Amino acid sequence: MPLQRIVMFLLSTCLFISNANAGEIQQTTFKNGAKLVVEEDHSAPVAMVQVWLKVGGRDEVPGKTGLAHVFEHMMFKGSKKLDAGEYSKRISAMGGNDNAFTSTDYTAYFETVPAARVQEVLAMEAERFAHLRLRDEDFQKEIRVIMEERRMRTEDDPNSRMFEELSAASLRLHPYRNPVIGWMQDLQALTIEDVRAFYNKHYVPGNAIVVVVGDVDFEQVKKTVAKTFGKIKVHGDIPARFNPVEPEPFGPKRIQVTLPAQLPMLAVTIPVPVWKPGKNDNEAASLALATHILAGGRSARMTREIVDKQRKAFTASAGYDESSMGLDLWYAYGLLGPKQTTEAFEKSLWALLDDMAKKPVTAKELAAAKRNVIAANVFAQDSLYLRAKEIGRMEVVGTGAENRPLWLKAISHVTAADIQKAVARWLKQERSTTGIMMPAKHMAAGDKS
Amino acid sequence: MMIRGYVIALCLSLFSGVSIAQAVPAIEEAKLDNGVRVLLMEAHNVPMLAMKLVMPAGSRFDAPEKAGTASLLAGMLSDHTAKHDFTAWADLLDADAIHLGASAGRDDFNVSLTVLKDALEPGLDAFAELLLQPGWNQKRFAIMKQDSIASAQKEKEEPGAQASQAGVDLLFAGHPYGHRPGGSMQTLARIEMTDLKQLYRTQIKPEGAVLAVSGDITMRELLPLLNARLSSWKGKATKGLHDIDSPKVVAGQERDVTLPTTQMLVQLLRLGPSRSDADFFPAFVLNHVLGGGGFGSRLMEEVREKRGLVYGVYSYFMPLAVEGPFVITLQTRADQAGEAEQVVRDVIASMAAGKISAKQLKASKENLIGSFAQRMDSNRERVGLIAMIGLYGLPLNYLSAWTEQVERVSLQQVKAQAERYLKPEQWNRVRVGPASAFQAVAPAAH
Repeated sequence: MPLQRIVMFLLSTCLFISNANAGEIQQTTFKNGAKLVVEEDHSAPVAMVQVWLKVGGRDEVPGKTGLAHVFEHMMFKGSKKLDAGEYSKRISAMGGNDNAFTSTDYTAYFETVPAARVQEVLAMEAERFAHLRLRDEDFQKEIRVIMEERRMRTEDDPNSRMFEELSAASLRLHPYRNPVIGWMQDLQALTIEDVRAFYNKHYVPGNAIVVVVGDVDFEQVKKTVAKTFGKIKVHGDIPARFNPVEPEPFGPKRIQVTLPAQLPMLAVTIPVPVWKPGKNDNEAASLALATHILAGGRSARMTREIVDKQRKAFTASAGYDESSMGLDLWYAYGLLGPKQTTEAFEKSLWALLDDMAKKPVTAKELAAAKRNVIAANVFAQDSLYLRAKEIGRMEVVGTGAENRPLWLKAISHVTAADIQKAVARWLKQERSTTGIMMPAKHMAAGDKS
Repeated sequence: MMIRGYVIALCLSLFSGVSIAQAVPAIEEAKLDNGVRVLLMEAHNVPMLAMKLVMPAGSRFDAPEKAGTASLLAGMLSDHTAKHDFTAWADLLDADAIHLGASAGRDDFNVSLTVLKDALEPGLDAFAELLLQPGWNQKRFAIMKQDSIASAQKEKEEPGAQASQAGVDLLFAGHPYGHRPGGSMQTLARIEMTDLKQLYRTQIKPEGAVLAVSGDITMRELLPLLNARLSSWKGKATKGLHDIDSPKVVAGQERDVTLPTTQMLVQLLRLGPSRSDADFFPAFVLNHVLGGGGFGSRLMEEVREKRGLVYGVYSYFMPLAVEGPFVITLQTRADQAGEAEQVVRDVIASMAAGKISAKQLKASKENLIGSFAQRMDSNRERVGLIAMIGLYGLPLNYLSAWTEQVERVSLQQVKAQAERYLKPEQWNRVRVGPASAFQAVAPAAH
């Protein structure tokens, strides 16, 4: 970057800096479809740059699971201007950390850099995005790295393995049934041709969202992105995303797995709706608050009732993600101690959920849940990383980052009756899949190597 | 006012070439009436505060046969008080979104609070109540003990936890760092309420304690709020942070743990520098070059990028009151473990022999200096750093001088540290993996 531009950039930073607090979301879309979203925060001379792609595990075809994630790794293997590893080295030299993550719904590349280097980073990001060099020898090495990643994260971790099996059993069509890292059998069969085809189809400007949060000026960033991402050529149409309608469950399903674990676990999944701003605000916010009352904070019902009072598990929790795409696989689980049984835990869990469907939660619980969800939103403002991630996620699944205030409003409007209704409608045993993990016999406690 | 401080720093940097990373707000210091040292860094951009009280009462104060005592004390203090049983206490905290908890490290025992600015007073009330009015409910103790034992059993399926256990056994046998803070199934089973009370009575004291604060407040506002709540808390800890001997040097030892996994976890370990080591910064930069810097580090380059043997390979050291562990760790398919370990040994041998280039050093320093601001990117990260500075008695300009300290590290110094720390024969080894692989893997060479 020419020195003159650095100077201009810093001067402009000086001029605009008085606008101190976390700003509102500013955004623009370029002619080729690339989008920019900026949230200015001048409280420290740092910026988070994230490039989000509307492509993830869900966009893979059968037999090619893991491809979106493989591709994420290949993005670090060199482009027209930069050799393999050079990208990371340059980011590192400017004091940045680069990394990337892939989910079913998206792929994101993120860098935290000193604010003065944002333009440089964006230029490099656009260059590799448009001119990736995809060589077979790099792929052959990287696919081995990914198999090690899968062994570490899934094969050798009984909990992950169990959740992988359970997700696959829970859904028939929806892509959340496949692991993002891919089935080992698919990883073994992928080729560099698969990677190239994936790149040509999905790495198009219309799928890219650039998110910048931190000590930057929107107008300046806009100019840079116009010259970089905004100039990438459009080749072909943006493919429609795979987002099938999951058929309604006919009744409860069960699986049981035996793994080299020490203790049993029981988990339950249920497909539930995600948030569609303006369409189901109350229902999604009710599910979020119901889940918080069950599993969030200190007074969580699952901990209080099942762990502390009934002693049916030593840890119990639940989760709901309103920003998923198509549907969310709501889950609850319990880790069981040596004298606790899956049968007793399962009974207690459903008693708790059924009770929530029959009786309204107390005013005190509801007020605390709302206060905590809103406080968590303030605490998250404290980290640029989390703020950028929130924006990127909302953009990529189609929720729209500008709708965040709407979510907090929806949360504040939820009543106890709304929660009761949402639980009764969605969190039902006949819609659920139950997974039981039993330890393999030789793993008895106290085994000494 | 802070914002203006940044404006000046930024504009100055145009002309003087001073790194913007140096725009670190100052740490203010004060003492409470009872002797607690308060360290504050103001940050007014988000209406919240984070604070962390640290005291020398961590797991090293556990009786070795009762490892986990400090952790259980942390759990008990967090769980309920003399005034509120566990349900009333949870309701009280959740009503104001007060995030309050305690935990135990090796050296330190800490109590942490994160609150919205508008809940500061109830937050501080709860903070003081946790600290000064323990409930010692016997029934809750029995439950927490039982659940801790179940968690410890669950950990027996995790390669990382197993390696860490084998690592402390090997490196710190008979030393206060010779157990993990969480304890094991056997040691947890031996702990009684009296052990918790004993630790509380002897070590949880204001003199020698440090309260780190970061957030939307000034010292003038903060001090009266703290004095009003903590002045009845008095006394001095029986043992100080530095009442501890250096661990004995262990070299060339090996431990293997069998787990039915597909990968082998290989850890090389030895003693590293203490927090007060005169050559802390050269050693810190050396570790970044070796395997602390992620992509671009020597280990990542050789083991992952060139050979595709691992997803990750890292090195780190844990600087404590005396020498803590220095660890190199990787996981790879069990039949490749010998090859991966050999690559690591070759890397450390070559670095110990002085093969570190000026270019590598420059790259590491640039990354460390440039990324410094990120290390302080949130109130919670800042209180962690400030608490560490306070506990180990580092100078209050530690953060503002940090980038300069890194910049000043010379190639010669880094090479000297490499010679001091990286000779392969001085390292020990822990492996966790399937029984079948232990026979097949070639023994560690040289």
